[in-house]
Amino acid sequence: MAERKFLVVDDSATMRQLLIMALRKLDGVGPLTLVEAFDGKDGFEKFQAGNFDLVLTDIKMPNMDGLELIGKLREVNQNVPIIIISTKGEEADIQRGLSMGANEYLLKPISTIRLKEIIGKLFA
Amino acid sequence: MGQNEEILKLFARSEELLETIRRGKQFTEELLRENERLRLRIVQLEKELLDANGEEMARVRGENDQLRRRIEWLERRFGEVEAENKDFVQRYLQVEEQNEGLANLYVASHQLHSTLDLNEVIQIIVEILLNLIGAEEFAIFIMDEEAKELIFAGGEAGARRFPKGRIPLGQGIEGAVAARKEPYRGDGDLMNQGSETLICLPLKLKEHLVGVISIYKLLGQKRGFTALDYELLNLLAGHAATALVSSKLYQGTERKLRTIEGFMNLLRSH
Repeated sequence: MAERKFLVVDDSATMRQLLIMALRKLDGVGPLTLVEAFDGKDGFEKFQAGNFDLVLTDIKMPNMDGLELIGKLREVNQNVPIIIISTKGEEADIQRGLSMGANEYLLKPISTIRLKEIIGKLFA
Repeated sequence: MGQNEEILKLFARSEELLETIRRGKQFTEELLRENERLRLRIVQLEKELLDANGEEMARVRGENDQLRRRIEWLERRFGEVEAENKDFVQRYLQVEEQNEGLANLYVASHQLHSTLDLNEVIQIIVEILLNLIGAEEFAIFIMDEEAKELIFAGGEAGARRFPKGRIPLGQGIEGAVAARKEPYRGDGDLMNQGSETLICLPLKLKEHLVGVISIYKLLGQKRGFTALDYELLNLLAGHAATALVSSKLYQGTERKLRTIEGFMNLLRSH
């Protein structure tokens, strides 16, 4: 199975570590390279430098928020799956995130079981 | 003469007729015997057939009974295996949830002890409360032992709730928790008199109070505290206290070291 590359964008180091722990235990996705970014700006730079198969991003971040990041990502790549992981759980927030081009919207505190299910479906 | 011949002819004919009748009788008797023989044979064959059918029926009935018992056993076994499978699925989910909980606890603990910078420790506590517990409004206080007051150190919406940034020991829920060194839970706690505080935990290193964490509101998607949340909060209360004390001691040591270095440099220059 080909190696996949995931980008984890969150300003919280705690959250990044939790996500990376969960992603390392993914079954059926094959070998993974996980890259961390601490805000939208850092995330976009790292995305352009690498060939990523999945982006997981928070919304509320300094410098460049998640929505702006998704907008920029969609300008350069229409296909890469994007999963938003955010505390913002209002229906309007979810709709905005999805309309910007995200494929899935997960609410914090996340269930890593649900996250694994979603990623499993994306790469089934 | 002619008459006698006539009589003789009649006699001969009657003899022939009698012979014919005799043969007819004999034939009829043979027919009756054959009929009787055939009837007996039919009865015999019918009996044989019935016997044969009965044996077959008994055999088939026996096989049916065996099959029915086999089906009943299989159905019972299927039910047992299905129940076992459900039990395994349930256990698998429980193990997955426990793994998730352990991962959260590990990350929280690891992050809390990853730095000796007081502001970073407070930031990590904020991240844990927000991302792992799902708290929307909360406050972190550090104990000022000289002033006997709690000092607001960080949190979401905590500054709005505590504009002065300080709470005297014993005042309000936070002050009472700090004074008693006992946690407060909004559900049925004696101190709860229309307070918005959902939970307030003392941060203790053994019996030494380091600070207090208060949660006032959970994220909209969060229905309430789970068992894992309480475990995380308990861990947070202990590890956050240790991390805060370590960072304060480290800061104090650094400050003292700089003072001593400055003093030594001053001595060397003279």
